[in-house]
Amino acid sequence: MSSFFNDKDSQQSNDFYNPNVLINLGPSHPAMHGTLRVMCRINGETIEDAACEIGYLHRAIEKLGEDKTYHQWMVYTDRLNYCSALNNNIAYAMAVENIMNITPTERCQYIRVICMELSRIIDHIICVAINALDLGAMTVFWLLYHWREEAYTMIESMCGMRLTTTYARIGGMSYDLPDNFSERLWKFCEEFPKALDEVEGLLTSNRIWIDRTKGVGVITKEDALKFSLTGPTLRASGIDHDLRRDRPYYMYPDLDFDVVVGSNGDVYDRYLVRLEEMKQSVRILQQCNKRIPNGPLWVDDKRVHIPDKLEVYTKMEVLIHHFKIFMEGIDVPKGEAFTCVEGPNGELGFYIVSRGGPKAWRMRVKSPSFMLFQGFEASIKGGKIPDAVAHLGSVNIIAGELDR
Amino acid sequence: MSTNSVSPAAFLVANQAKVVARLTDKYSTERKLEFDKLNEPVLWAKNVDDINLLVKMFMLDENIKVDFLSDLTAYDNEDGEDGDKRFVLVYQLYSLELHTRIRLKCLVGLTEQANTITDLFLGANWLEREVYDMYGITFKKHPNLRRILMDERFSGFPLRKEYPIKQRQPFNDNIRLHMGANPLQVNTHTPQEEK
Repeated sequence: MSSFFNDKDSQQSNDFYNPNVLINLGPSHPAMHGTLRVMCRINGETIEDAACEIGYLHRAIEKLGEDKTYHQWMVYTDRLNYCSALNNNIAYAMAVENIMNITPTERCQYIRVICMELSRIIDHIICVAINALDLGAMTVFWLLYHWREEAYTMIESMCGMRLTTTYARIGGMSYDLPDNFSERLWKFCEEFPKALDEVEGLLTSNRIWIDRTKGVGVITKEDALKFSLTGPTLRASGIDHDLRRDRPYYMYPDLDFDVVVGSNGDVYDRYLVRLEEMKQSVRILQQCNKRIPNGPLWVDDKRVHIPDKLEVYTKMEVLIHHFKIFMEGIDVPKGEAFTCVEGPNGELGFYIVSRGGPKAWRMRVKSPSFMLFQGFEASIKGGKIPDAVAHLGSVNIIAGELDR
Repeated sequence: MSTNSVSPAAFLVANQAKVVARLTDKYSTERKLEFDKLNEPVLWAKNVDDINLLVKMFMLDENIKVDFLSDLTAYDNEDGEDGDKRFVLVYQLYSLELHTRIRLKCLVGLTEQANTITDLFLGANWLEREVYDMYGITFKKHPNLRRILMDERFSGFPLRKEYPIKQRQPFNDNIRLHMGANPLQVNTHTPQEEK
């Protein structure tokens, strides 16, 4: 017994009423959305201090960016934010195009906007549905996941993949839209908002939902700015910032949509912002569907244009060209650019430093989740553990993007 | 925010011109001002101490109004293309009001210490930790400078060019739990202590 008390840790192990208890959340806990881990020091049920531990899903994607050719690296972008792979594909293609000074064709730009808005809807569906599921509202999950499935089926018809799409190519897209796509998108835009209305009816004025989310996980305006949060989380805190409007790219200046801004920065506001953003995305989809022009999908640029398969199999020169693009890679001139798009979770940026040649010198992924998780660490202090779970669900941190 | 009469794109172009004029006017006399492929200004700080000064000045400058840190990263300058020092620190600054971006760059030597900007942007905390983790650049007065993505037992800095891409470092899973910035005494049982 005496040896036990002489142990260097005896002070803690002996003190049953020690107010400082450590609790470990994650990295493999169903409420921790992927491989996130938080060490909390709790007093009763209140979190007094928290430390996030990340890196469990680190796959050296940035290092691989310096080792693979620009074209090969496209598949790795799918694995960043795997809930909205299309958005990453397109943002990356855009980043490389910016360095090569290529502007995609109008049809390509419209397709890209459609893809980005579809993936935004999917991402927001995941966030709202899982957040509600974490808090015990299962019906919402079933309602919304049906539409996520529909969206994925549409994406499958576009590029043959569901989750890891690799749809974009530098200078174009891998495939054109399928024949019946317009009708399918039309039907989706007609019926999906009805499901949103239903969800709104279930949650927005639901007493239990309000009790669990209002005033929970508050991120003030100042905190959101200090921690460089972006996306719906920043807008829910009351800051009017949306790259689609502020720094317009592709067809966004011509499209009519509203930027959704909340005021309190709590879980409830983030839910409302996401819900309304889905409706705005549907609006954008409808306009794109109406306006999408016929015309070439690919830019007329020899450096990047991947030749048609039929030509590759029949013409010698085209075969060589095809071979060179895939075996040697695209020659990107010296220079650098920082390209940001408004991803579903916030500002998704690719900072590429090129020193010429087919491989990047530095491939930096600025992921929104990284900043969001840092803000999360600071703002769960003082709250309760179930509130932390609600908070985590509402900021939608994707581990693939967080750890890269 | 932009008024209804001016389109966001035109607003952005006007502000960009204003910021570039201000940068050429006031900041580029002793420093190198470049433009990237998107025609966005890239300003090279004179040294590491100059970074903090510049960021502070940008935040106070009425014509630049930087209030947001988009990103903080670094890259290896092993081939000496950008200067004679080993690394380049990169700060992506943004103005929420003007919608303009400024990139701030600085050369850092292999043994040189940079200054933290966590006093200006709290969000820089993890970003600086990542730079330290990946390149081994240390930041003076950083509140909690330790590895973030890699394991604590990892040796070497993976994004340095000399680190071989396939050099793996397997570890067993029994690591001490830690509490980050404000460590407390914990009584965790680790097998290493047993023998």
